Amino acid sequence: MEGNIELLKGALALVGYGLGAIGPGIGIGIVAGNAITAMARQPEMQGTIRTTMFLGIAFTEALALIGFVLFFIA
Amino acid sequence: MAQMIVATECDVANEVICAPANVNELFEFPALFTVGGLEFSRTHLLMFLAAFIVIAVLYFGLKDGRLVPSKFGATVEGMVGFVRDDVARDIIGEESRKYLPYLLSIFLFVLVGNLFEVTPLINFPITSRMAIPAFLSLVTYVIFMFLGFSRNKFRYLIDIAWPRHVPIGLRWLVGLIELVSVFFLRPFTLAVRLFANLVAGHLMLTLLLGSGVIFLMAIPEVGLRGLIGIPWLALGLFIFVFEIVVSLLQAYIFTLLSAVYIESSIHFEH
Repeated sequence: MEGNIELLKGALALVGYGLGAIGPGIGIGIVAGNAITAMARQPEMQGTIRTTMFLGIAFTEALALIGFVLFFIA
Repeated sequence: MAQMIVATECDVANEVICAPANVNELFEFPALFTVGGLEFSRTHLLMFLAAFIVIAVLYFGLKDGRLVPSKFGATVEGMVGFVRDDVARDIIGEESRKYLPYLLSIFLFVLVGNLFEVTPLINFPITSRMAIPAFLSLVTYVIFMFLGFSRNKFRYLIDIAWPRHVPIGLRWLVGLIELVSVFFLRPFTLAVRLFANLVAGHLMLTLLLGSGVIFLMAIPEVGLRGLIGIPWLALGLFIFVFEIVVSLLQAYIFTLLSAVYIESSIHFEH
């Protein structure tokens, strides 16, 4: 138990991922929320807005994904 | 599997974090047979099965070009039309026909690979092995890099690293971010996005459904405490439906981003 660095690294990666997920979570919320607003205002633009929304989500997600990789590095 | 859930290997008295000994047993299968030095495990067979399913679906769906297609044919035509119109044409534009075969095959392969996750008796998404999404994203990377350098020559690299439309004070910073983003983060996140979603989904499904069943089966030994398996099974079934949506969405996003990256190399006007 004592001095088990591997265990500590795993636990720190968990905390780090939790912190890293905050930003993308807020960002994806903003992207999706604004997309819904846009769709409600202009339903005829729905297709374009949805595609752009997925793109925005995909790019915002990148930071959370880098955090996910921590488990495999740490 | 059962050891992992019940954590029988865990020494509760001494360990603070009761981590499972090895998650890899959910994702790694022993080699079944060897052909000329290449080991074939369940993953490899499923990979060939996925490719075979894609070929068979496309062949039988589009075989007879009838004016009024059968139900199956109409479904296949719908999928092909979706990739052709909503992904390739909307994103890439007039040159989309050249890239449609690639986008369509990548979409269907990833879709079938993802749906293996929720297919009974298979229950293993092949895209949760990093090699497959990594290779697929590498192909996309090679295509858009080749297009970028062949269409724009060396200006492609210079314009990314030194964007002229940005104010001079910020130019080096934006250039650096763009450089890392285009050459490194794009293929990396493309692969990891698919991989991470499927790993998370497979883990959740296996743990929830597996623990539900294991706890319910343990009722004769542990008594009514085993009833905790019922909510877990219910949550697992809820997530099962959710994972079908994730599978479809991730296949769509993978194709969409491949198209966007290809487009960004074709219409490179900064």
